Amino acid sequence: MTGAPPIVEMKDISISFPGVKALDEVDFRLFPGEVHTLMGENGAGKSTLIKALTGVYKIDSGEILVDGEERRFGGTADAQAAGIATVYQEVNLCSNLSIGENVMLGHEVRGPFGINWKATHRAAAEVLSTLGLDHLDLRRPLSTLSLAVQQLVAISRAMITKPKVLILDEPTSSLDANEVANLFTVIRRLRGQGVAILFVTHFLDQVYMISDRITVLRNGAFVGEYPTRELDRTTLISKMIGKDFATLRSLGSERQSHHYEPRGEPLLRAEDLGRKGSTEPTDLELHQGEVLGLAGLLGSGRTELARLLYGADRPDSGTVWLRGKKTDIHNPTSALGHRIAFSSENRRDEGIIRDLTVRENLVLAVQAKRGWFRPLTRKEQDALTRKYLTELNVRPADPERPIKFLSGGNQQKVLLGRWLATEPDLLILDEPTRGIDVGAKAEIQAAVAALAAKGVAVVFISSELEEVVRLSDRIIVMKDHRKLAELENGPHVTAETIVAVIADEGDDEEGDTE
Amino acid sequence: MTDVASRIAANRGAIVRNQAFWGVIAIVLLLAINVIKDPGYLAIGYNDETGHLSGNLIDILRASAPILMIAVGMCLVVATSGIDLSVGSIMVVAGAVSMELLRGMDGTAGNAALTLAIALGIATALGAVNGILVSVVGLQPFISTLVMMLAGRGIAKVITGGQNTTADNDSFAWLANGYVVGIPVVFLLSMAIVALVWVLVRRSALGLMLEAIGMDSRASRLAGVKRRSLQLTVYSASGLLAGVAGVFATASVMTVDVSRTGYQLELDAILAVVIGGTSLAGGKFSIGGAVIGGLLIATLDKTVVFLGVPASATPAFKAIVIVVLCLLQSERVRNLFRNRRALRAQSQKEVVPA
Amino acid sequence: MRSIPRVARAFAVTGALALGLAACGGGDDDTASGDGGGEGGDEIVTVGFVAVGPEGGWRQANEANVQDTFTEEAGFELKYAPATNLDQRSQIDAFTSFVDEGVDVILLSATEGAGWEDSLRRAQEAEIPVILVDRGIEPDDTSLYVTRIAPDNYEVSTSVAEWAVSAFPDGGNYFVLEGPAGVSVVNERNRGWDDTVGAVPNLVKVGAQTANWSTEEAKSVFETVLRANNNDIQIVFAQNDEMGLGAAIAVEEAGLTPGVDVQIATIDGTKPALEALAEGRLSFVAEYNPLFGETLLEVVDKVLNGEEVEPYIVVPSETFDSPEAAAAALPDRKY
Repeated sequence: MTGAPPIVEMKDISISFPGVKALDEVDFRLFPGEVHTLMGENGAGKSTLIKALTGVYKIDSGEILVDGEERRFGGTADAQAAGIATVYQEVNLCSNLSIGENVMLGHEVRGPFGINWKATHRAAAEVLSTLGLDHLDLRRPLSTLSLAVQQLVAISRAMITKPKVLILDEPTSSLDANEVANLFTVIRRLRGQGVAILFVTHFLDQVYMISDRITVLRNGAFVGEYPTRELDRTTLISKMIGKDFATLRSLGSERQSHHYEPRGEPLLRAEDLGRKGSTEPTDLELHQGEVLGLAGLLGSGRTELARLLYGADRPDSGTVWLRGKKTDIHNPTSALGHRIAFSSENRRDEGIIRDLTVRENLVLAVQAKRGWFRPLTRKEQDALTRKYLTELNVRPADPERPIKFLSGGNQQKVLLGRWLATEPDLLILDEPTRGIDVGAKAEIQAAVAALAAKGVAVVFISSELEEVVRLSDRIIVMKDHRKLAELENGPHVTAETIVAVIADEGDDEEGDTE
Repeated sequence: MTDVASRIAANRGAIVRNQAFWGVIAIVLLLAINVIKDPGYLAIGYNDETGHLSGNLIDILRASAPILMIAVGMCLVVATSGIDLSVGSIMVVAGAVSMELLRGMDGTAGNAALTLAIALGIATALGAVNGILVSVVGLQPFISTLVMMLAGRGIAKVITGGQNTTADNDSFAWLANGYVVGIPVVFLLSMAIVALVWVLVRRSALGLMLEAIGMDSRASRLAGVKRRSLQLTVYSASGLLAGVAGVFATASVMTVDVSRTGYQLELDAILAVVIGGTSLAGGKFSIGGAVIGGLLIATLDKTVVFLGVPASATPAFKAIVIVVLCLLQSERVRNLFRNRRALRAQSQKEVVPA
Repeated sequence: MRSIPRVARAFAVTGALALGLAACGGGDDDTASGDGGGEGGDEIVTVGFVAVGPEGGWRQANEANVQDTFTEEAGFELKYAPATNLDQRSQIDAFTSFVDEGVDVILLSATEGAGWEDSLRRAQEAEIPVILVDRGIEPDDTSLYVTRIAPDNYEVSTSVAEWAVSAFPDGGNYFVLEGPAGVSVVNERNRGWDDTVGAVPNLVKVGAQTANWSTEEAKSVFETVLRANNNDIQIVFAQNDEMGLGAAIAVEEAGLTPGVDVQIATIDGTKPALEALAEGRLSFVAEYNPLFGETLLEVVDKVLNGEEVEPYIVVPSETFDSPEAAAAALPDRKY
């Protein structure tokens, strides 16, 4: 590996945007047949560096060598033509087209009578099978797939041009352990074929599982390039955030250590709550001031159960008692009226409203709860916004900026603020820490712990079992749309405990990653 | 990176403002052309015979009133990423109801008020039907309102028995033709209504809710925004405003022409909204922009007549003005030129290996 | 912008298809009784009327008159198919379905003059006689239809022009309010007027604009025209009554007196126009006689009996040039 010249070499790359140096003399090398991870907090310049390489952004100075020749690309498509394929974090596919069409879009096999669909589908099937996705029906619309599988389809799409360099920008942020393992198998195979892979992720574990080499960026500056085996986790994290690990650790909460005993009447009690095709009838109890973790693989029915509690989907069986009174929660408006709030896992489509400002996003739920004819005054809005921007440490703390220009972690904090502003008694958080950087993650975890301490009941859903274990008082483990087990949390419970519960079910599924 | 973002944000804001700005430019240019033809074009005089102000500008303001009404209604509907194709047909229904009622009544002010209430009530009800089809039944706005567009004109024909109906009622006619201290009533009314809608939308949280629905209806539903009732509200409001427009249009000649009143005016309304910088995709909307768009269309119509553009060339003339305007407004068209140049410059520098 | 009317057309086509299907059933019965033949002499004649539909008072009177003439008592079954929003497409569809179901005779009032050749040829192949009612076709190929029955637009507008020449011996400025551009009526009425007035140098044309037969549009157009010409217009030639009435309102709102400052002449002779003439708001109304159902009936009988008819049958029309004449005619006015 070391003998071969780098396939991509970027030297002294600088990009300035008005008022900020987005990249400041950054170096980067990528060798054939290696997996190279780009690490750094959100805003460190990882995306900018990728976009500089593919020509989405123009560089102010420095040089980009591909195969030893200086190149400047005109954009993703141009770069792809030169053998550099990119899969972005957000899935950019057409959800109303079929899987096959999505994979082959723009690369359809043409015959004398226009597109040869048979050959096209055959080609699509080939690519999908190299990713272990043979089971997918090519003719199904993409929208029927989970976000996770859509991500794999997006990667398949990038592979059809047989690129020499594959850039994966946070490909695993919405995948569960199984799918990650699947993906890594493919990545290793590609690496074996000599493809150079540039990998961006927030998951430290994954870095150590797959990566050969790490380049760390901080605030647009180059920190260093290291072989993965020479860099331990603590050092890596402190290089990323620029302070030592102990400080970071203190931000996180250690809820497990002070287990909370529920007292008195439950805030919410559900019996046989279910909906055909999404959730088997489930019993549930929630107490004030407790954090209930929902664990399980993606697609196990965690999200579906949460949506029933919030009325986002209408339950077709079961009864809910709220504060001892039988209550019908049939839509989000009524849930908010009963002081229940729900933050969706799908931040982009069901969370933020991209074109509205931070302030507007933040006050939306409170305003909806009040009704449009009783508007919050501008003063009230500003006060509310300022309060939560400060409390949750949103950066930049500019209420009038459209939310789409914030990083994922900060968007998530604004959303948390939106729900906190409605002063909920029950807060349901579905994957609130997915795809956000280490710092923001710790802050959100701390906020959840603080809420519980104030007496709010929290339902916490996450694919990261460690996180569920650390935060929850009780854990419901779900599988195949039903409740598998309910665990009292305590020092004896670890991520492995939960994995064991899921694996014990007797099925031959691998619920394990390491 | 964050500053790039803010720069883009600032630019976007400027472009949105720019769109209405181009509308203003177009109005000014049209007026300038008229002034070249007749230097006294802009003069507003006092007509001794009739006792009110008169002039081409006053005529434009009067002619714009019905368009302003439907454009403002359309603007609200478009904000929710819907569309209302039925406004022209609702206009003719309101006109038909008015004329048919007034024909059989004495010309008293009381009867005029009663007629107005009934006509606007029916228009609102038709708008509400649109709203129910869209929000409760879940039909696409385009289809729901298309049905109403076809049905509306049919209803008007049934009401008048297929005839163009004429009536007499001075109070009713005063709505469109009267003057208060020299200023046309119809202009005062339309401005008052526009202002009322603006206050209602911007001083309450209605505007924010409508934008939220238009930008991302799933996210806003989860945020507790009541999509259905809001859609019902905006389609009803659009119906009501179309009813007002229908009253203005028919009262000015006290005749309803079942095949011509409001005919294809929905297109003018959509045009006005788009010229005003509101995207048909929904989301951010500008009532002020829609007003400018409406004024532009009225100015264009009047200019065509004032210049004496031959009847057969009139549609082409209007189309050209509007196409040029839309091209100027388009960010993409402007970028296209910029990018072309940049790309060409770049490709000359670059040596592409085979 | 064109896509919306197109969708509307799609609806019209669907409607016409439904009409055609419904009519097909009836057609079969007719053929059956025809085949059986000779049992009774009182065979019902099926007449398909491709009509204009709501357009104005004149059309209303004309089509009602036709419908009142071809009654069942008189031995006819009249199928009335008005156009959807004056759209020619919907007329062609109705025409085609009449040919397909095999009516005995088709009456056609075309909304637009051009574009009828194919349809008329199909009728010819099916041996269905076509009689043009009022509106002509362009180009006027007399081999494609049996006859056209109409008041003569050229003659009527010439009578208006002659009035203008005699009423303004010292000359004056005139403005023409036209119907929609391209319609044959408009062309004919323009020609009649221009041929006479164009020869008189002191009658000066200041312009012409379409107001789409509409009162509302005519008012809006003429108010601007008055401004553009500093009210210096003495004569308005409105090609229908509705537009003339709109012009009268515009004149009044400009603080002028219709009939004194501006004299307005219209064509059609509907009741509201004659009332306005009696009040002095209009100055001249040329009738374009819509009530020729009887003539039409005679012609249909002749055609079905195989007799020859003239290719163009002119319906006589009157003119009204004074309030008194209008007042005298009003009590008997049927439309």
